[in-house]
Amino acid sequence: MTSAVTIPRHGGTGGRTAVAARARQVVKAYGSGETRVVALDHVDVDIARGQFTAIMGPSGSGKSTLMHCLAGLDTVTSGQIHLDDTEITGLKDKKLTQLRRDRIGFIFQAFNLLPTLNALENITLPMDIAGRKPDKGWLDRVVETVGLSERLKHRPTQLSGGQQQRVAVARALAARPEIIFGDEPTGNLDSRAGAEVLGFLRRSVDELGQTIVMVTHDPVAASYADRVLYLADGRIVDEMYKPTADAVLDRMKDFDARGRTS
Amino acid sequence: MTVMKTSMRNFFAHKGRMALSAVAVLLSVAFVCGTLVFTDTMNTTFDKLFAATSSDVTVSAKGASDTGETTSDNGKPPVVPAAVLGEVRKASGVKSAEGTVFSTSVTVVDADKDNLSPSSGAPTVVGSWNGNDARTMKITSGAAPKGSQQVMVDADTADKHHLKLGDEIGVISAVGTYTAKISGIATFTVTNPGAAIFYLDTKTAQQWLVGETGVYTNVNVTAASGVTDAQLKKNVAAELGGAYKVQTAKETADANQKDVGEFLNVMKYAMLGFAGIAFLVGIFLIINTFSMLVAQRTREIGLMRAIGSSRKQVNRSVLAEALLLGVFGSVLGVGAGVGLAVGLMKLMGMTGMNLSTDDLTVAWTTPVIGLVLGVVVTVLAAYLPARRAGKVSPMAALRDAGAPADARSSWIRALIGILLTGAGGCGLYVAATADQAKEGSLWLGLGVVLTLIGFVVVGPLLVGGVVRVLGAALLRMFGPVGRMAERNALRNPRRTGATGAALMIGLALVACLSVVGSSMVASATDQLDKTVGTDFIIQNDGGQLVTPQAVKAVKETPGLERVTEYKWTEADFTTPDGKKLKDTAITAADPTYATDVRVETVAGKLADAYRPDSMSVHEDFAKDHRIHLGSKISVAFKDGSTAGLTVRAITSSDVVIDQGAMYTSIATMAKYVKADKMPLDQLVFATAQEGRQDTAYKALKSALHDYPQYQVRDQTDYKQALKDQVGQLLNMIYGLLALAIIVAILGVVNTLALSVVERTREIGLMRAIGLSRRQLRRMIRMESVVIALFGALLGLGLGMGWGATAQKLLALQGLTVLEIPWPTITGVFIGSAFVGLFAALVPAFRAGRMNVLNAIATE
Repeated sequence: MTSAVTIPRHGGTGGRTAVAARARQVVKAYGSGETRVVALDHVDVDIARGQFTAIMGPSGSGKSTLMHCLAGLDTVTSGQIHLDDTEITGLKDKKLTQLRRDRIGFIFQAFNLLPTLNALENITLPMDIAGRKPDKGWLDRVVETVGLSERLKHRPTQLSGGQQQRVAVARALAARPEIIFGDEPTGNLDSRAGAEVLGFLRRSVDELGQTIVMVTHDPVAASYADRVLYLADGRIVDEMYKPTADAVLDRMKDFDARGRTS
Repeated sequence: MTVMKTSMRNFFAHKGRMALSAVAVLLSVAFVCGTLVFTDTMNTTFDKLFAATSSDVTVSAKGASDTGETTSDNGKPPVVPAAVLGEVRKASGVKSAEGTVFSTSVTVVDADKDNLSPSSGAPTVVGSWNGNDARTMKITSGAAPKGSQQVMVDADTADKHHLKLGDEIGVISAVGTYTAKISGIATFTVTNPGAAIFYLDTKTAQQWLVGETGVYTNVNVTAASGVTDAQLKKNVAAELGGAYKVQTAKETADANQKDVGEFLNVMKYAMLGFAGIAFLVGIFLIINTFSMLVAQRTREIGLMRAIGSSRKQVNRSVLAEALLLGVFGSVLGVGAGVGLAVGLMKLMGMTGMNLSTDDLTVAWTTPVIGLVLGVVVTVLAAYLPARRAGKVSPMAALRDAGAPADARSSWIRALIGILLTGAGGCGLYVAATADQAKEGSLWLGLGVVLTLIGFVVVGPLLVGGVVRVLGAALLRMFGPVGRMAERNALRNPRRTGATGAALMIGLALVACLSVVGSSMVASATDQLDKTVGTDFIIQNDGGQLVTPQAVKAVKETPGLERVTEYKWTEADFTTPDGKKLKDTAITAADPTYATDVRVETVAGKLADAYRPDSMSVHEDFAKDHRIHLGSKISVAFKDGSTAGLTVRAITSSDVVIDQGAMYTSIATMAKYVKADKMPLDQLVFATAQEGRQDTAYKALKSALHDYPQYQVRDQTDYKQALKDQVGQLLNMIYGLLALAIIVAILGVVNTLALSVVERTREIGLMRAIGLSRRQLRRMIRMESVVIALFGALLGLGLGMGWGATAQKLLALQGLTVLEIPWPTITGVFIGSAFVGLFAALVPAFRAGRMNVLNAIATE
């Protein structure tokens, strides 16, 4: 296996920094006046390159919104977000689309795959859209890593939930994005299939040097990360390095209790 | 009650998705109601017009038509002697009587010899200014005509041709050509049916139109007060004896109304037929809409079933929605129909017929028919989807959306479709090989209907193959976007099939008619080339006869080798088998006709038919009446005596020109028909001296410059005119088919729009992973193009098959050449691709605007 340093990368601007993505004073608000709801309240965050970051928080804490904004899926009300040294806040749809296509990978909780395309076609879709030829050697390696060699010609409906998510992981990895965003990627899976997918994500960070950001509410999933960010009421309230499931759970219980008493 | 409530809620919650279905219902209903209102209004208008223009009792010659229209074969109106007027006045109950002279066998030109006749085909009438017409016309400028130098013109004609008082006008009748200056302009106080009317004083009218004074075409009788028209008719008839035709105002109006009514009925049923096709196409749209709504609502329906709704209730709730849609669309359609009728009336106004909206007639049956039709069709169309909704299992609530396809039903579908198509194909084959036109057309009709249904049924199964071929040919070059478009078109074959089938119907008819039309032109051209040995054909396109002066002008043209006159009349035949055949057409021509047109014979030579007391019959006639060469037929000429003619030639029935004609010579006919009763020429053929075609053509044209009602054509022009004529007819039919095609296009828009809604998450996902808006829009456009081309391919194929069959069948009637109009067919195919692009405009735009986050939003 190659080390993180020697992995050839696509995209980016050469002078690489240790921070893959950063948010400064990001505010996301819906509505106005009395009905104004603030989902993100002056959030500052740095996503370290080559690390696996988990974002946790109770429902409505703004964790999904933060991820959507970081990934260029949603616009911010104010503040700046940089991907590497590209400022994505204020980019037009066309540029944003290109950015997502070329520099970001996605794994969603459900409905990750196009039902009309087979597994392989789904994996290469972002590159097909971009009109790029996938790197054959890399593709084979990714497919092999997620263990899908036998099922490349299958349609999503012919795959189990775990297999479908593995295809989604393979898709996210295949294009060699600078950063992969996962939105509860294991939320719909049983614990065994979930562990399998999380294992792949972990390995892609360790062995391939991939940067991953994952939103989850599952302490076990969070324990695969290098770092956990806690969000509450649109603010980052805490963080934890080298988390374990138990530690995460304890911290969550803490928040929960505080949330109830306050 | 709850069923109704949920239906109402669903209906209004999805009103956007129902919108296009409602428009389809609206359009079809509007076309039906518009047709009914328009024809009813025309009837009302004509009723009023005829009631207003007829005098209480009219006396005319026995040979005059019941409608009072004054035309006859010899170009002069049938007349009664002036003495009749005196006799009529003696009858009791007569308040007043007036003799009038009218003719419609005339042409009126302006000083530049430009024809003033209406181009719409409405008649040109020249007659004496009289008290009866003064009831419906008001002199608005100048004065009534007096003496042989004055003419009065109706205001509409004056407007159209910018005529003013003092302008010179020429009147060309069978008697001669005359000129006069406009002395007055009269305006209609009733609806002007579009005719051009010119008035002279009585004496001038007699001289110009009939060629003698002391005659009238009509005697208009007004009843004394207290005398009914019927009583007056009886009195007048008693006074005159049986020598003349005596009609009450009502009888004349009825006869007129019958004439017009027949025409209006033909128009009405033709238009209703096209509305029917639009309805048929609309059914596909409605089926698709409800199928998609039911599919999208599968989980909801499953939940309803799980908490205790019965199948019937679910079924009914869908039908109730259809009912709402039907009522909604039909009510709007009835309203739009009235608007459409008003629009048509305005359009008629542009062709010279000023219909008043005061006469707008909406019979109570019209909205009822519109509503019932709209609602019944909608509910019937929704029946299948409703049944499918009823079959949704309660388990569907728990499953993910997207039910697996029913393999068995598609197997049955294939079988039924193939059987129907096969049966239809057999029908077409029988039609193509039939040797009886009548029987053959029955088979053709059956074949057309069966193959159409067969194609509709089997269509979804063809989607796979056809779309893949189209995809390979067109979409692959667009890379992954093309591939996804292809997959999307393939993912629900039933939906793609039904959407394409809707387009298929209209295009099949277009293809069929274009094949028949161009085969018609090709066959006629082919035969012209093979048989016509003359250079020029002179005729009036409206069927007016050629006056002797014009014939004289032709004959005096330098550079002509020969001129052939061609007359047509009806006679009562008695054939050797003892059959009496009333009003049988017979054609009289100069013997040179046999050289001008080389009519193929199966026995004898056509030239022999022009020997004294000889004639020819056509093959079928000979067969039917066991006639052979030498048989004698007794021919009782109209207005003449009876001749015994010997059959000396039997012509082939396998011709396009003059099909079924029976020929004799003008000399023979003249022996039995008095000179002044001889019909005028229908056509005149002229042949140039060898090598002088060009100069002769020019000379002929200038010789006939004073007779703008006649067209001189050489063979090239004649072929072009034939082509134009067929083209015009086809264009009219295409115009009417446009309605069905518009509904089909709405169907494509509908399918795409609903598909986009259905695929919201998918679209969001693709956008998230980097599909640009432009690529997304292109993908939807390409799916649309593929659906449209699928429909076009099936439709054009089917239509060409129908057209070729029709040609084979009509070959019996001389349509011997099959010509596939490839430019038209290719044009329609390419046009369909553009239709696809156009249909995708809005759905693609809306898909592009969809929120990317929808993909990630978990329910």
